[in-house]
Amino acid sequence: MSRFRTGYPAAALAALICLAGAACSAPGSSSSSAGSGSAAGGGTPSGPIKIAVVDAQSGSASDLGQFEYRGVKLAVDQANAAGGVDGRKITLSLFDDQGDPTVGTELARKIASQGDIAMLGTAESAVTLAMAPILASEHIPNITSGQSTKLLELNSPYLFLNGPTGLTYDSTLAKYLVQEKSFKKFAMLTNNDSYGAGEHDAFLASLKAMGITPVADKVVPQDQTNMTPALNAIRGANPQVLFIGAEEAQSGLTVKQARALGLNAAIAEGAPAGTPLYLSTAGNANAEGTIVSSPYLGNDVSDASKKFAAAYTEAYGSAPELHGAKAYDGAQVMISALKACHACTGLALANAIRAVHYDGLLGSFSYNKQGVGIFATSIGIIRNGKIEPVS
Amino acid sequence: MQSFFQTLVSGLSFGAVYALVALGFSLVYRTMGLVNFAHGAVLMIGAYVASTFYLSARLPFAVAVPAAMTVTGVVGLLIERVLRPLENKDFDLMLIGTIGAGSVLEAAAIVIWTSAGRGVPSPVRTAPLTVGGVRIPPYDLLVIGITAIAMVALALFLQRTKPGTAMQAVAMDHEAATAAGINVGRSNAIAFGIGAGLAALAGALAGPMLYVSPTMGDSLGIQGFAAAVLGGFGSIPGAIAGGLGIGVIGAFAAQSFQGYSDLVTFVVFTVLVMIRPTGIFGEKTVNRA
Repeated sequence: MSRFRTGYPAAALAALICLAGAACSAPGSSSSSAGSGSAAGGGTPSGPIKIAVVDAQSGSASDLGQFEYRGVKLAVDQANAAGGVDGRKITLSLFDDQGDPTVGTELARKIASQGDIAMLGTAESAVTLAMAPILASEHIPNITSGQSTKLLELNSPYLFLNGPTGLTYDSTLAKYLVQEKSFKKFAMLTNNDSYGAGEHDAFLASLKAMGITPVADKVVPQDQTNMTPALNAIRGANPQVLFIGAEEAQSGLTVKQARALGLNAAIAEGAPAGTPLYLSTAGNANAEGTIVSSPYLGNDVSDASKKFAAAYTEAYGSAPELHGAKAYDGAQVMISALKACHACTGLALANAIRAVHYDGLLGSFSYNKQGVGIFATSIGIIRNGKIEPVS
Repeated sequence: MQSFFQTLVSGLSFGAVYALVALGFSLVYRTMGLVNFAHGAVLMIGAYVASTFYLSARLPFAVAVPAAMTVTGVVGLLIERVLRPLENKDFDLMLIGTIGAGSVLEAAAIVIWTSAGRGVPSPVRTAPLTVGGVRIPPYDLLVIGITAIAMVALALFLQRTKPGTAMQAVAMDHEAATAAGINVGRSNAIAFGIGAGLAALAGALAGPMLYVSPTMGDSLGIQGFAAAVLGGFGSIPGAIAGGLGIGVIGAFAAQSFQGYSDLVTFVVFTVLVMIRPTGIFGEKTVNRA
């Protein structure tokens, strides 16, 4: 008998098995319907409520992932200690997206198949962008720490931000620098990952809206450690302000190398400059005078932040920062929605999130159609290693 | 002209760190014929240990660095000991073993120090020197100087000491070396230990220049590996030349090509290696592990 004749039935059988597998729905994938509002997802009505937390736990973004998970876990532990949601405890499943959008898409499918009714994370807009269409098709609401305006372009009814958009950070910062401090000569140094590119576009647009063109505009690779060549070119343009759009460690290195070069322009940046990571990498002396745009200027700015910081420090042995605070607020919004709709799922849960009004650490959350709940940041300035709000 | 020399200085500073990484790669390769893919992770461990001695234990930097080299050298010995049963038996498994060792070290670093990295203040607090408009941080001069001393010390060790000449003999012909009474296992262990010490030195010196994190060994390991290849794998002076070369090429690529600087650096590297596949000083190949 020829190989073709013996192989053909096996191939046909294999094809039939594959078709049968594709036709069968995975547990929890489409059965928790879009608008039922039922509590069927995430376990039995008396069982735990399952929420996925997706953040980098390895790779270059793992420190952000750790801060975020701690913020979420603190909120959930506090909620469970107070009785949970309708007597049901919330359980968290932590997934490592490695900061990689491809891994994120695999995790989105995994979350859908194992019955998590909602997702908190990720900290990276690029990963969130990759996961969002899958989560929307699986009717899984997601509260993310990403801030790229590209997230809004998805128009997903299941996607929500736990902080302002990058445009809010940067337009507030630009207005302060131009209108209140009367700076005119700006230089920009941003990296080329999704965060840096977003910061570049948002800050540039904000400057141009006020009729200002930067005197220097340099882009560096995401993991570049030697910024001196770019900074040397910027030094030649003699700017009054150097705007940095990069993650915490790279921003700190940039400032350190800028000061070593004798570049004494005022440093201005969004959220990363408001973190201990930035300060420890830059050094307090180099970071002195950095102008920060952030919705969370520190752990001492309000009674709520002091209470949060005390609880966080007791739980984890270290003080919180912006990312932990954002994740904590995002988790609290999710918990509030679950309580309001009695642990509903799918589109009903998404609508409940949109209806939440929550006074959080970052401000008062009130969500619009695009999933943005916070529309303002504050301006602070670093003095002696601490951020002080600008009066 | 000022811009040219400023870029050159920054390239040499980072190049010195890459050269130290390449020295470790080359030493293990010339002795055992093995590319140690755990080298970047060992560098990271060295950086963390040094920064812990310096920041937490508050030892002087000049004490913290040798202490870190000693501790990390022991890590190198442990890796060699685990891989020793495969020596002369299965080279591919040994290679894979080093990759696995690197993953274990990265996971261990996260468990011990968490994934949150740390900044390390420079131990040299004096203001940068200014020469003809070019600013030179004193710490960068220190790194370049220590790298030069490390190269000389290693060369003297290999040529003038009994363990060093034993390592060279093992590299040339391990069966003849065994017949002459040289303990091949011990020789390989010394190579791994010294290689790990050099990685720790690179990591400890890189800490104040960069940022200590569990992933810092990834990019420094790649740069150091490229430096070793460029200079001639297994060549000690080649490691220095390759390291400085990669640092300078990277700096000028960053100046001219901004966000594409990594791409340009490795395109130039590829072209150079295609022109001279054995590297600047030629490869010291060893056909065993």
